[in-house]
Amino acid sequence: MQPSLWSSAVRIFDLSLGQMLWSRRSVFLGLVVGGPVVLAVALRLAEASGLLFTLDRPRPAGAMLYGMMIWLIYVRFIVPVLGVFYGTSLIADEIEDRTLTYLFTRPIQRAAVIVGKYLAYLVCTGLLLLPSVVIVFFLVVPLGRGAAIAGLFPALLTDLGMLGLGLAAYGAVFAFVGARLKRPLLVGLLFALGWEPAALLAPGYLKRLTVAYYLQALIAHEMPQDGLRGAFLQAFREVPSLGTSLVGLAVIVGVGLWLAGRTVERREYVLEQ
Amino acid sequence: MGIVDAHHLSKWYGQVIGLNDVTLSVPPGITGLLGPNGAGKSTFMKLMTGQLKPSQGAITVLGEPIWGNPALYFRIGFCPEQDAFYERMTGLEWVTALVRLNGVDEAEADRLARGALDLVELTAVGDKKIGAYSKGMRQRVKMAQALVHDPELVVLDEPLSGMDPLVRRKTIRMIKEWGRQGKSIIVSSHILHEIEAMTANILLISQGRILAEGDVHQIRELIDEHPHTVHIRAERTRALAREFLAYDDVLSLKFEDDAVVVETGRPDVFYARLTELAASGELGVIHEVTSPDDNLQAVFRYLVKP
Amino acid sequence: MPIHDQGYRRYTGTRMPRGRTWAVITTAGLRTLLAQRQFLALLLLSWLPFVVRAVQIYAAANLPQMAFIAPTAETFRQFLDQQDVFVFFVTVYVGAGLIANDRRGNALQIYLSKPLSRAEYVFGKMAILMAFLLLVTWVPGMLLLFVQVSFAGSFDFLLDNLHLFPAITLFSFVQAAAVSAAMLALSSLSNSSRFVGIIYAGLMFFSFALFGVLRAATGGSSLSWVAFGNNLAQIGDVMFRVPPRFSTPWGVSLAVIVALMAVSAFILERRVRGVEVIA
Repeated sequence: MQPSLWSSAVRIFDLSLGQMLWSRRSVFLGLVVGGPVVLAVALRLAEASGLLFTLDRPRPAGAMLYGMMIWLIYVRFIVPVLGVFYGTSLIADEIEDRTLTYLFTRPIQRAAVIVGKYLAYLVCTGLLLLPSVVIVFFLVVPLGRGAAIAGLFPALLTDLGMLGLGLAAYGAVFAFVGARLKRPLLVGLLFALGWEPAALLAPGYLKRLTVAYYLQALIAHEMPQDGLRGAFLQAFREVPSLGTSLVGLAVIVGVGLWLAGRTVERREYVLEQ
Repeated sequence: MGIVDAHHLSKWYGQVIGLNDVTLSVPPGITGLLGPNGAGKSTFMKLMTGQLKPSQGAITVLGEPIWGNPALYFRIGFCPEQDAFYERMTGLEWVTALVRLNGVDEAEADRLARGALDLVELTAVGDKKIGAYSKGMRQRVKMAQALVHDPELVVLDEPLSGMDPLVRRKTIRMIKEWGRQGKSIIVSSHILHEIEAMTANILLISQGRILAEGDVHQIRELIDEHPHTVHIRAERTRALAREFLAYDDVLSLKFEDDAVVVETGRPDVFYARLTELAASGELGVIHEVTSPDDNLQAVFRYLVKP
Repeated sequence: MPIHDQGYRRYTGTRMPRGRTWAVITTAGLRTLLAQRQFLALLLLSWLPFVVRAVQIYAAANLPQMAFIAPTAETFRQFLDQQDVFVFFVTVYVGAGLIANDRRGNALQIYLSKPLSRAEYVFGKMAILMAFLLLVTWVPGMLLLFVQVSFAGSFDFLLDNLHLFPAITLFSFVQAAAVSAAMLALSSLSNSSRFVGIIYAGLMFFSFALFGVLRAATGGSSLSWVAFGNNLAQIGDVMFRVPPRFSTPWGVSLAVIVALMAVSAFILERRVRGVEVIA
């Protein structure tokens, strides 16, 4: 009897997790999640040596800096880029490595392959990204006019949940993009770094066609004012309710994975010889 | 109904026709799929293994349509041509991981994988990383993953590619043994003598069309317009030649060293006369009679026109 | 002799002078990319801002009530700023696979077994990317100047802003050269063009994010040099004689660009080889 979609996906997950963790991608992932940690360490060292803050302006609160890092580094950069990188590669890697044939000639639904790999991506990126956030939190929050860590702890938990949901949503969207298109990376980058920032600025319903719209509603920290764009974003920011955001993200994950599964079931993949 | 049945099967890629209106039935046993590069062998194999969908027509494998029918893979094993693996895994890990996708548990998967590696004589290196395997080992571990779940039909795409002669011979022996055990095997190659060593049942494909199917000797006999060449090494070649000239089925003669090479349009009649001559000894001793073109190469050459 | 030899004969025609073989690589690369519809669409899209600006210049020149949108020197600076987005996408599309695909297909050995030096190979590849980058920066920039003169019907603007000629040219070439060198170096590090593309995007955007945080932490923009794009922007502002957007001295920004190109050259020297030498 043919194994169920879920049990097949779990077996693909088992097969893929090790591949993902020990591939060259893990070098990139390590650099990406290590970057903010290195920055946090540098900021602590700079503060300790007195180099960090100038005398003629008030010392920024560590909590504000932490919030800024969540916005600028994790939400606007790391999570979408990881989603693009891993999500578009779920099937594309197997095609490039010409190992897809082995998976597609097993008695499992093709959709199980992408679901299993998606689960591996979530675990892989989550296991590396979330500890990075925790370390940054403990290093940065006490900086400057440092607030009590305990008081901000709920914000950390919210951030971890929010980033996990972000990885899930972007991963699902780009899993579909990767399954559907021949050049998924460019489209993925266009979406994450082009479409999303532009749509968030636009009035009306366009912003609802982004992941960032639902995700940014879950961020507990104030949006940074990094120039004109930041000011525009702040001015035109429309914040959906918590329920709307969670439902929206869940729909994005579900629809993204469903479309990805449907695509691999129907598409013919011709591997180069 | 055969193992694989194609009915007006066509496949095109944009403007390029990969397979053109193919109707055939592959019988159980070992079948060689033969053709030059670009003939459509790979396209046919991909259609047969459900990697491609027909553009037109239908293909059934073991009585069922293959596209979108993953349950059929319980009964089919496929060894693709590409040299691609999860290099960091050992041979045992890799075959185990793949057979687990058949729904077997960890312990059973391990047992089956060890059995498959044993079949292809890779037990000793099962715990080595595939990245460290030689070319022959890599080919064999590919075959192991195709056989691990004991399928009824095994499809092998260029299985002997890159193997040295010793390993090649061993592998041919293995394939014949699997055929004797009751498996149906479809093996593709463009190396004629390899296919000949495995089976007499062939499918000859060229430019997306099936040129011939069936027993290679029967096919050869059917190619009437190509006379049969018979090479006779004898004591008195010129005397034999004078005798042959009287036969109206002999179309041409030439001399080579200590032999006379005859082209005949009716090999059955010619051989009967030759046997009588050899038995009577009246035209000297006949040392050897061979037919350089009663083989696959001749069939291939005659049918596959450039 | 009555019967002529039909066998192989050596080529006796003229040969391209040594040192020009890079052009063969460049021509082949350009042809391959221009045959791709997706890429042509990207190029077309990259010229939209030019069309918008041309309309702006036309309107300012011919409609008195639109005189307030008349172009200044800063307009040309802003135009090239806006083209940064297309510079990024063209770089990723064209540049990521330039050497990575050759490594993947083991073509480096074949290239370097020909009478082609490594420098010519690298230069040929770099010329492909630079050609397209200049097509989305220098060419529309210069055309915009020409459009300004044509629609205004006088050379006054040009004479008042003569520095725009060298500024557009120099900035476009520096940008194209720096970006091409960096992308080519990254491309030589991997067999996968996808991996290279994401590394490039990651480095670019992570450095911008890093600068954002450092600016908030330090309260100033003196650390703008950590973001590669900021260095190009800073020297661009200096070339166009507009107030620099960061407080980093332009010499520091220039030094960072030069250092990056030097590192890229070093990487290319180590990675572009016909054989791997294992001591």
